[in-house]
Amino acid sequence: MRVYVCEDSFEGLMTAVYSAWADKLGHKNVRLELEGEYNLQLFAEYVSVKPDKEKTEKVIRKLLNISEEVFTCVYRAAMSKEKEKADKIYHFIVLAVYAGPEIMKQLGNPVVMDVFELARKVMNEAHRFLQFVRFEELENKILFSKIAPKSYVLTLIAPHFEDRLMGENWIIYDEVHKMAAVHVKNAQWALVDTEISMGDSAKKESAENRKYEELWKLFFHTIGIEARKNPKCQQNFLPLWYRKNMLEFDQQEK
Amino acid sequence: MCYDIKRTCIRSMVIKMQIEQNLTIQQKLQILSDAAKYDVACTSSGIDRRGKAGSIGNTLACGICHSFALDGRCVSLLKILFTNECVFDCKYCINRISNDVKRAAFTPEEVCTLTIEFYRRNYIEGLFLSSGILKNPNYTMDLLYQTLYKLRKEYYFVGYIHVKAIPGADEELIRKTGFLADRMSVNLELPTGDGLRALAPHKTRKTILKPMKQIQTGILENKNELMPYNHAPKFVPAGQSTQVIVGATPENDYQIMSVAEALYKNYALKRVFYSAYVAVNTDSMLPSLPDGPPLLREHRLYQADWLLRYYGFEAAELLSPERPNFNVLLDPKCEWAVRHLEIFPVEVNRADYQTLLRVPGIGVKSAQRIVRARKSAKLDFSDLKRLGVVLKRAVYFITCMGRMQYPIRIEENFITHNLIHSDRKQLYGLQERESFTQMSLFDDFHLTVPPLVEDKKLSALGEL
Repeated sequence: MRVYVCEDSFEGLMTAVYSAWADKLGHKNVRLELEGEYNLQLFAEYVSVKPDKEKTEKVIRKLLNISEEVFTCVYRAAMSKEKEKADKIYHFIVLAVYAGPEIMKQLGNPVVMDVFELARKVMNEAHRFLQFVRFEELENKILFSKIAPKSYVLTLIAPHFEDRLMGENWIIYDEVHKMAAVHVKNAQWALVDTEISMGDSAKKESAENRKYEELWKLFFHTIGIEARKNPKCQQNFLPLWYRKNMLEFDQQEK
Repeated sequence: MCYDIKRTCIRSMVIKMQIEQNLTIQQKLQILSDAAKYDVACTSSGIDRRGKAGSIGNTLACGICHSFALDGRCVSLLKILFTNECVFDCKYCINRISNDVKRAAFTPEEVCTLTIEFYRRNYIEGLFLSSGILKNPNYTMDLLYQTLYKLRKEYYFVGYIHVKAIPGADEELIRKTGFLADRMSVNLELPTGDGLRALAPHKTRKTILKPMKQIQTGILENKNELMPYNHAPKFVPAGQSTQVIVGATPENDYQIMSVAEALYKNYALKRVFYSAYVAVNTDSMLPSLPDGPPLLREHRLYQADWLLRYYGFEAAELLSPERPNFNVLLDPKCEWAVRHLEIFPVEVNRADYQTLLRVPGIGVKSAQRIVRARKSAKLDFSDLKRLGVVLKRAVYFITCMGRMQYPIRIEENFITHNLIHSDRKQLYGLQERESFTQMSLFDDFHLTVPPLVEDKKLSALGEL
């Protein structure tokens, strides 16, 4: 058994898939593992894989050759927060290469369903962030938002905001994975690996911003009907952990 | 003398009706969102539209909810009234002329800035603009039109707009507004003409259905126009909806469902919303609701509404004049299934899509997945679970490869009993009413409510 340990990024994963396959040990004799915490296995050889652009591109090309649907599914699953995703994705790709585009129909197959489930969960979380991202306006008119997602949703939500807020300069900062999506007015958005410290002196809200934040909170608190109060239902749709960066829940938390 | 009193009365009413001047934007927002909250429609779905350079916004067909209020309802649009002044006197409405509430009105400018500033910060998906009747329907409709025009043409807003068509307003005004909005709605308010006459003396079935018909024909004509000219302006592209108040008048569920069905068929509505009546006014014509709004009834109506729109059911299949109301303990689909045991159990690997949809525990998504997945392999119960089927309910009605999961008696009483006891009753406040959870419909009939603690106290003190 050889275990390929890779970085938790799309490039890292794809390189590991490539290496595991290229070494021709047989699919049963390889396993993929993410860097960080994992249980060491007896009689296994551990190989650390460095992300490699060329190998990644080869895998992507192969996946796109099968079908775009397969690639999208793999990409989404790769953004997941789950620790075992690397191995699941590897076995899915192995199946996909043999089964072709038909693989998307084999929902009864546990290997396929595992990856579908990963992709579905990631997309659900991404959708939640389309809903719950809150921007604040900084002094220089930049819209700034801080999020704390569990999965790597940034690349999945940025295109939506690019289309929607085309004429704005905006930043969405993922404080968990320390990366940001940055968009400059009428240009394409870009992913930046960065750490933004919250005490940054450049991050000062604009004069108008507080006014609209107060107005929003006011609106939010008047729109609910007291006679129909149902916090359980509210929490079903809007779980507590999403609320930490949402201004309308500020007081309730403290 | 009598005449004099009447005159002062009218004058005081006129004074009361005057919109308070010099209100801050905060006060206006508070008054006008508070007045709008009883309107349930807050969806932003039905249309996909990409953003355009130089403008702000786009729309998604699935719609996006941006927050959830304490009542669990989604906050998707900035839901406000343009003004809460109203010349009508609908008994159930907080804004009726005879109510002494603070009155306010926005200016089109204020509505536009609020919408844009909220939208930029991703608080909302767009604007929901309704209004009380200021002066007369035409005057009000024109104000709404002006606001929308400003928002679309001066602020270049491409996001979602839902606007009310004011019953009784000029056709041309409604047409013009329709080309700026995504969704329009006219509220039916009460399911029958009788109810309307009793509670909303200024509204008639005719004035409500006329704009509805107009919007429907407008949408249809526009679709034909769009075929040759792709860039023709779109008229109400996300369709129209309406709202029915439940529990204010004595109509039963069967009547309400029949009305909803007729609206879907004859007026091509996208949605009918049901609003459990919330007692905001006291009036001899209105029911008193000591248990709060009829939320469970509203919930059952929504469940049945989904069955009409996505599951191919008809109102007459779910209810009948002999059994005019939905079951409190069972959802409409389960109830239908236990009364039609002759078609069950259904073989999952062979049954067609329409039949699968009728099985409790199988929804639209899981039915589609089943149809897709069974092409490549035979499905078993564990596969179904993975596909998202709710086995808790489905086991009584399906077989996989000719076998049921457990030996189950296909018998109405047995299945009903099991379904009721696996149902999640904690939702919709059922757990608080002891008599509900303890009750088992077919085994014992302990329908009497046990004495409350207060009763015991009272009897101990000799007051009962």
